[in-house]
Amino acid sequence: MNEKTKPKYGIAQNVLWIVKIAWSTRKRVLVFCLLTATLEVLYNLAQLYIAPEILKRVEGHESLSSLLWTIAFFTASIFLVLVLKDYIKENTMYPRVDVRSVITGKLTEKSNATSYPNTLNADFIKLRERAYNACDGNREATELIWQTLTLLLQNTAGFVIYLTILSRLDLTLILAVAATCAVGFFVSRYTNNWTFTHREAEDVYYAKKRYIRGKAESVELAKDIRVFGLQNWLNDLLESVHDVYLDFRLKVERVRLLTDITEALMTAARNVIAYVYLINMALREGLSVAEFLLYFTAVTTFTTWVMGILREAVRLHQQSLDISRVREFLEYPEPFKFEGGEPVPGADGYELKLERVSFRYPGAEADTIHELDLTVKAGEKLAVVGLNGAGKTTLVRLLCGLFDPTEGRVLLNGRDIRDFNRREYYKLFSAVFQEFSILDVTVAENIAQTKEDIDYEKLRECVERAGLTKTVDGLPNGFDTHVGREVYLDGVLFSGGQTQRLMLARALYKDAPILMLDEPTAALDPIAENDIYMKYNDMTAGKTSVFISHRLASTRFCDRIIFLADGRIAEEGTHESLLKLGGEYAKLFEVQSRYYQEGREF
Amino acid sequence: MSVEGKIKFSKALSNCLRAAGLLNKVSRRYFPVLAAMCAVNALTPYVAVFFSARVLSELATYRRPDTLWRWVIAGAACTGAFAVVKAMLYERQETLYDDLYGRKEILFARKMFSLDYADMDKQATHDLRDQIRQNEGWAGLGLMLVPTVMGELLENIIGILSGAALTVSLFTTPVPASAGALTVLNSPLFILAIAAVMVAVSVLAGYCSARSELYYTSASEEANFGNRLFGFFGFFGLQKERGADVRIYSQERLVSAYWAKNFAFGGSGLLARLARGPMGILSGLGTGITVVITGCVYVFTCMKAWAGAFDVGSVTQYVGAATAMAGSIFALMSAFGELRANGVYLETTFKFLDIPNAMYQGSLTTEKRSDRNYEVEFRNVSFKYPGAENWALKNVSIKFKVGRRLAIVGENGSGKTTFIKLLCRLYDPQEGEILLNGIDIRKYDYRDYMDIFSVVFQDFQLISQPLGANVAGRADYDAERARRALVDAGFGDRLETMPEGLDTQLYKDFTENGVEISGGEAQKIAIARALYKDAPFIILDEPTAALDPIAEAEIYGKFNEIAGDRTAIYISHRLSSCRFCDEIAVFQDGSIVQRGSHEELLADGSGKYHELWTAQAQYYTGD
Repeated sequence: MNEKTKPKYGIAQNVLWIVKIAWSTRKRVLVFCLLTATLEVLYNLAQLYIAPEILKRVEGHESLSSLLWTIAFFTASIFLVLVLKDYIKENTMYPRVDVRSVITGKLTEKSNATSYPNTLNADFIKLRERAYNACDGNREATELIWQTLTLLLQNTAGFVIYLTILSRLDLTLILAVAATCAVGFFVSRYTNNWTFTHREAEDVYYAKKRYIRGKAESVELAKDIRVFGLQNWLNDLLESVHDVYLDFRLKVERVRLLTDITEALMTAARNVIAYVYLINMALREGLSVAEFLLYFTAVTTFTTWVMGILREAVRLHQQSLDISRVREFLEYPEPFKFEGGEPVPGADGYELKLERVSFRYPGAEADTIHELDLTVKAGEKLAVVGLNGAGKTTLVRLLCGLFDPTEGRVLLNGRDIRDFNRREYYKLFSAVFQEFSILDVTVAENIAQTKEDIDYEKLRECVERAGLTKTVDGLPNGFDTHVGREVYLDGVLFSGGQTQRLMLARALYKDAPILMLDEPTAALDPIAENDIYMKYNDMTAGKTSVFISHRLASTRFCDRIIFLADGRIAEEGTHESLLKLGGEYAKLFEVQSRYYQEGREF
Repeated sequence: MSVEGKIKFSKALSNCLRAAGLLNKVSRRYFPVLAAMCAVNALTPYVAVFFSARVLSELATYRRPDTLWRWVIAGAACTGAFAVVKAMLYERQETLYDDLYGRKEILFARKMFSLDYADMDKQATHDLRDQIRQNEGWAGLGLMLVPTVMGELLENIIGILSGAALTVSLFTTPVPASAGALTVLNSPLFILAIAAVMVAVSVLAGYCSARSELYYTSASEEANFGNRLFGFFGFFGLQKERGADVRIYSQERLVSAYWAKNFAFGGSGLLARLARGPMGILSGLGTGITVVITGCVYVFTCMKAWAGAFDVGSVTQYVGAATAMAGSIFALMSAFGELRANGVYLETTFKFLDIPNAMYQGSLTTEKRSDRNYEVEFRNVSFKYPGAENWALKNVSIKFKVGRRLAIVGENGSGKTTFIKLLCRLYDPQEGEILLNGIDIRKYDYRDYMDIFSVVFQDFQLISQPLGANVAGRADYDAERARRALVDAGFGDRLETMPEGLDTQLYKDFTENGVEISGGEAQKIAIARALYKDAPFIILDEPTAALDPIAEAEIYGKFNEIAGDRTAIYISHRLSSCRFCDEIAVFQDGSIVQRGSHEELLADGSGKYHELWTAQAQYYTGD
């Protein structure tokens, strides 16, 4: 794993990077860090001095008013510090969340805009996951680092101040106390390392628990659960995944307990050391109770500063690693040209050409597309057919410029598409893919793919052509109804057929010069399917188009059909010429049509 | 938006107790450990205070070395022992809490199992479930706050009692008469007044922080919306299947526009505004006011000590104990506030867990017949989905012929799948009745009734578990029977290549060494599951939608073999499948409009069947 690879940026660089983002997003984040650290130190000092100062006045039997004024002074100071401290604590989270949101937004921008092959690259995916993990919540590096920096500041300040207070005491005492800290620190580091190395194991348990719970509660499985009586099986699975996790968790407990018990024993040792030293000093030098109390408190709390510095330094190191991954992800190299590419020249028609194109998925053993030559002429209607796994979808992705060929070239009107600004190139295409991305936004926004300047007349026309008017009219808020329920609770869920029509309407609205349809009717019933076929001519008028299907019936509307097998063009021609050829296409057609032939027996 | 909790304290308390009861059933070990931990936690600070006060007292008075050492050693031993026990209880409690945190989900899963399917299919049910999840996600509200709150209540009550025990002598030790005016400190009235001030301040502080807490939970709607927005748009880039669309349609623009609305937890959201205003101020005051108690205690004890009632060592004990006690009173008040705020969220949890079963559950057992001679009949059945205006099925009557094959065809939304759902009693019809051997199916025990049906639903589901267990629907199964079912379903060849045969894990969701299978293979396993069950009725709902023509032809070819002597129902919108069925029922707008054999139906040129058939067949039968 890239756990081992050296991070690109060091601690100082990463702190500077995130401080810059905070500076331009919410300066408050930085101000709060400074204020909190200062107030914490002040609070600690007030707590340190309150008892000794008051007791000194009782012990020395000073005047009653001096005693009462001292109490009043400390009470008022602590009150003020506490109110401020807590008020700031209540307010720290929000600006920090803003900073983390800005970083998360950058990650999403990068993911959405990165060259498509990156999204299938294992290295990129792993890095992306780590980058997102660093932004996943309040406890992750991009937000927690502020707490770490605050604590480092506060502990360092406290450490320096206490050193001066304790300078009257013997150095060996301070060293002995520091030694108990070191023991505690190393044991806790062992525990942390153990927990860290077992984090993946723990994630696996979580994933299993989540998976079984998800299944148990899924609507899709609900019918099967009832019909096949799967309740007992799932119940047992639920119990067993939790039992297995509990066993693991008990192991974690033992390791964590080691740190806790060491810490308890070291604290006891520290107290004994402090008592022995200070009682001897009191007996020898006649230390007053007030002084005794001051030193005792100072010696025993001195360790919290030391421990704090050690602990937070380790945390900062870990957070810096995480932040470095975020930056490495944001700077991940792009194989495609975007803003640096040439503009796509305008033209009346677009011809696409594959020149001896091979494509192999990263890590695959064989080519998915092999030395393929193909020209889609401007205005031509091309159909691509073939069995599952023949390479149809990959071919479409090569034409759309989502992949670059491993060998060979893809040409647009004779120019290699690699030279163009890829984002501009995408503007040439309207597509319906098999996998689609519907957003939890309104119907209108899903079709127009924008929030502003929606042309409602065009929208209505496209919806009508896609056969979705009745559905949209039946929605509670028409075009402004939200789709999906993940974000808006009033959203509606579309059936498979409705979704396919929605995707079609989106392609029509975009009205780009090249149309790509990958199995756009799979979820439709025969009459609806026929309806789309009928409209196909109208949809593709004046456009270059590619239609993919394993239903051979659909291909008849196309000018030319290519039959794809094992990444090669096995046969090519019109429907009639291919049938006459009597090859694979004809055989496939026979299989599909046999049940429709009259007078045949089965 | 109201800041007050919407329910009474007594209701909140009873909700809390009910939740604790439920959780206790999920994990019997958790609550005893929690109680022990809280008791030890409550006592710990007082142990330290007591021993250090003894040392200081000795130092303030006689300074006898051997007494001093005795107290130091006893103190170190006691506090050390307490710390160790505390650590052990704490860690065990954490372990069991983590366990409980996951395990409590079983409560919800079991509820899901037992819901009427109508409720399972209702969006409102899932919205409720999501709300419960979201409340837990953003502020830990709901079931799992209950142990925390109960722990705080217990710990602070014990804390207050122990604090009281250590401060009794503060009040009972009088100031000597020689102190003159200061003997007023001995007056019970004075003591009462001091105590009243302390209690009042604690209560005020607790009140402030509880109010502040209520402000926080009052923002739950915006917070949950923010979390949903964050979850959807923030992590949008992680979803692989969106990649192509995102690029072709420049979806990043819409994503960014919506991402900008994500401010619920940011500096310009409602929570941040509340934090800058009343929520932050109240919280600050609540925390700050507690120091007033410390001040009061100092004044009272120091004046007494100053007047000669006791030494300065005892002052530290009284101040320490009284401060800790005031802290406990404050924390107790906050815990009450939390309990009350959480009560509202528990209402949501219980609303889900208490969804009633409205379906009538009969108790008749079905007759076990070896000749599979079960007669099922729909008699004038009409059905409307809950909340829908239109009838999904209208006056449907049909009788299945034992051992025959029936095809059901029709357009999307014509009622085909609804018909199957009624047959399987996932829903009950509003009008008419469905009869099994002449008796209304509602009168049968549901599990017993379902024994006569095997269904392969359009959206059937397999689980990432061993192949054999998927076929049998249980972990311990008859391996020979499972193998036979797989072979009959056409999965035989593939079974040979499965690395661990029936024990091979399907998919990689559950274990990394699982085997990925194609849609067609999954369909065959689903059919095998239906065969393993060996029910007299087998129903296949659109079993070839995801298949390419070759795989489709394979299923068609095997259909007769698969069905065997069972009564088979085949639903499809590919009409080619009708050719091998004995009878066809054509659905349109919730009614059966045509019935008969393929030839009979096709002969009716104006019928629906003819229209459907031609729509598809024209491409295959032309030239």
